[in-house]
Amino acid sequence: MTWDAIVIGAGHNGLIAAARLGQAGKRVLVLEAREAPGGLMAARGGMTVAMLPTALNADVARALDLHRHGLSYGAPVATLALGAGGAVRISGREASGAGKAVAVAYGALHDRLTRQAAALGRMLMKTPPRLRDGGAGDLIALARMGLGIRLLGKDEMRDLLRILLSNIWDVLNDEIGDGPLAAALAMEATLGGAMGPRSPGTVLPLLYRMAGRGRLRALGGPDAVIAALVRAVGAGGGAIRTGAEVARILVGEDDRAGGVRLTTGEEIRAPLILSNAHPRRTLNDLLGVAHLDAEDARRARLMASTGMVARLDFALSGAPVADGGMAIPSGERLIVAGNMAALETAFNAAKYKEIPDRPVLECTYEAGRGLLSVNAQFVPCEVKGGWTDKARATLEGNVRAVLAGAMPGFQAMIAGVETLTPADIEARFGLPGGHWHHGEFRVDQMLMMRPFGGAAQYRMPVAGLYLCGAGAHPGGDITGVPGWNAAGQALKDGRAAK
Amino acid sequence: MSAAKNLRQPMAMGVVPGPFHDRIAPLNHRQGWMNWMGIAAPTVLDTVEFEYFAIRNQATVFDISPMMKYRISGPDAETVVNRLVTRDIRKVGPGRVTYAIWCDEDGNVVDDGTIFRFADGTFRLCCQEPQMAWLMDVAHGFDVSLADESADVAGLAVQGPTSCAVLKDMGLAGVEAMKPFDIREFRVKSKPVTVSRTGFTGDLGYELWMAPDDALTIWDHLMAAGHLRGVKVIGYEALEMARIEAGFLLPRVDFVSSQTHLRPGRARNPYELGLDRLVHLDKPHFNGRRALQRLSQTRPARKLVTLEISRDKPAHHAYVYHRGKKEVGFVTSALWSPTLKRNIAYAWVDAPYCFDGKDLSVEIYLQRELVWQRRMARAQIVDRGLFANPRRTATPPSDY
Repeated sequence: MTWDAIVIGAGHNGLIAAARLGQAGKRVLVLEAREAPGGLMAARGGMTVAMLPTALNADVARALDLHRHGLSYGAPVATLALGAGGAVRISGREASGAGKAVAVAYGALHDRLTRQAAALGRMLMKTPPRLRDGGAGDLIALARMGLGIRLLGKDEMRDLLRILLSNIWDVLNDEIGDGPLAAALAMEATLGGAMGPRSPGTVLPLLYRMAGRGRLRALGGPDAVIAALVRAVGAGGGAIRTGAEVARILVGEDDRAGGVRLTTGEEIRAPLILSNAHPRRTLNDLLGVAHLDAEDARRARLMASTGMVARLDFALSGAPVADGGMAIPSGERLIVAGNMAALETAFNAAKYKEIPDRPVLECTYEAGRGLLSVNAQFVPCEVKGGWTDKARATLEGNVRAVLAGAMPGFQAMIAGVETLTPADIEARFGLPGGHWHHGEFRVDQMLMMRPFGGAAQYRMPVAGLYLCGAGAHPGGDITGVPGWNAAGQALKDGRAAK
Repeated sequence: MSAAKNLRQPMAMGVVPGPFHDRIAPLNHRQGWMNWMGIAAPTVLDTVEFEYFAIRNQATVFDISPMMKYRISGPDAETVVNRLVTRDIRKVGPGRVTYAIWCDEDGNVVDDGTIFRFADGTFRLCCQEPQMAWLMDVAHGFDVSLADESADVAGLAVQGPTSCAVLKDMGLAGVEAMKPFDIREFRVKSKPVTVSRTGFTGDLGYELWMAPDDALTIWDHLMAAGHLRGVKVIGYEALEMARIEAGFLLPRVDFVSSQTHLRPGRARNPYELGLDRLVHLDKPHFNGRRALQRLSQTRPARKLVTLEISRDKPAHHAYVYHRGKKEVGFVTSALWSPTLKRNIAYAWVDAPYCFDGKDLSVEIYLQRELVWQRRMARAQIVDRGLFANPRRTATPPSDY
């Protein structure tokens, strides 16, 4: 069997890249180290790390015809920000339960940020332009973004440029004041990364998340997304091999990537390799520093990638009720933080490698399975004293206490708990820092700087090797865009070489 | 590291004395000192002409202790050194030295220096600029240890036609059998001395490497032995004349390191520097290889060339013109060579003028009793390294 391309890792981006290559007539082999495809979305063999696939890019889903492969979409998920004495329900520009003045201010802020995000929007989804040695197309792409920003009008352009590198703490305090609503938005700006609301550059991630024009919420959760993507790969003639862990990317005499070696010693050849692994793992471990210039090896080594999210699943014996008496609705997104100050306090502890007393939580409750899934934010991957049983118990206890504060009677309902610390995620998925986004999502690691300067545009230093995971532009959040764009870039380069 | 015990108190100008300072200072009649890596180094001791002619006619001693010296050792040492430099270090055997350059990811030169291979897995990199951070980056992921031994090794360059005879008189039996770029271990008054047949003058010459604690003992012994062979202590300015004649480049003078330049486009690659022979693209991946592969297939935008200029005035800081009108380059180093009796200079000249070299002239400014004179002098491109005397490589050297 000969292959036109190998994709390392059957996470959603790897599957999307494989499906796009398949559509273009390439024979693709996807190699997955674990027992089931899906990466952080895989449910089999453990709990799903990525539990809320609500950001799938509509253009990608349409191009891959995922509907035909069995995926259906629901209304955008609403967010409930739980606070003392009640909840704020956020859906688009509406915020009910926040008080009238705050709701009005939020509506205006939402509209403005949405316009500003749209001005950046095209840029946030396309292959980023090269700043150095770029061609005419790169200049046009830059000019187009500049024009988009200029067309916002003088005041809004000025406002965008003012807040772009600013921190979400200042922006939200200026516009809506601190509280459960601000906490939910600040959570959106910092989720998955090692930045608190006061860290500079936290506005850009929020704009990025708002810019995903046509973000689809897949019905059926992570399982349904992966099942549809697996079918899409199959429809393109691609094959997926699970339990096949890549040990090395092989580089030929011609200095091109020419295949992979598995941990079993088996070698598989293909002229095109796409890696859905973390950039550091792809370059310094799989490719090997011997094939890299010292500068790239250093950038991969030092790129910020500190995971800060622990995953906990609580099996419940009853239906949880929020403080104030509201039953927790099934399938919606809950933010348990209280206010932005709580986020910053939790982040402070994590900075010093401590487990925060009160982690801030993103949760979702599934009534059918009696399961409350929790992302506990600002839990450091590397904790002082290591992840001992005591440390795990502390984490679980702290999360339970936060939940019990927002949902009276919660403690008594717990029938079981399963925990993945960031260190567990790192070990289980070969993901440096246990970082969801394969690298910190901050301004010096975004756009043409993602994963680091000189390595954007999906091409890796060795010809024939591409990065197709969340470490590539535009980044994490299960949009599928990195995988889609990487495959596109590889196909374009292949045509150019002919 | 044993650096701490070698730290000395600063002198008035903020530099520290080198290991031979107590001997050089009384000889430095001009008290001309320069700051070389924070160490007091002599510029001229009495007259530069006297010192220069000693290089070409007798034997000279120059303190090279301020050079940066790094030890690279361990199982992967050869791999790391080969990854660092552009030439194939596998072809350099134990007991040998080679001249090498190293490049960044864009193929621009970081620095140049000599690499001593003491044993299979033991190297020393000897260069002008601090390189520890760069070495650590290049070595990351490999099984080597890196040590900055700059303060732990004192060095003396003994250069000139009678240098071999001086060393023999000093008791270095068999030194005459050393070929250029050989390394040998000797003992002087029971002190270990490593000798390499290397230098920066293009002449017959050796470099002696020793522990700083032994420096004065060996100095005294060398001076006593060299008395009848005209051994003379020299400063930096005389060496500078010899190195231009010999065709050696100096970072910061003839090119800017890619690690220190600030303005875009100021870094230079080996093809522009005329160092193509030091780039071995057929060896395994090394830093900058992919960029150099591309650069090797394009014509450089400019080159560092050696010019021979009419008449006798050195063309310091001169512009280079084509047909006397179009400005096409500038001079970096210039010298009226007393030995060659030729007026030479290194200059950056733009393409295509650096290739055909026709109709070039340099604009030399001369001040004579306050009045400036401008002189357009004809220039032509010649091969680098105009001083090439057979005694540099003769083994054994003649007993001058």
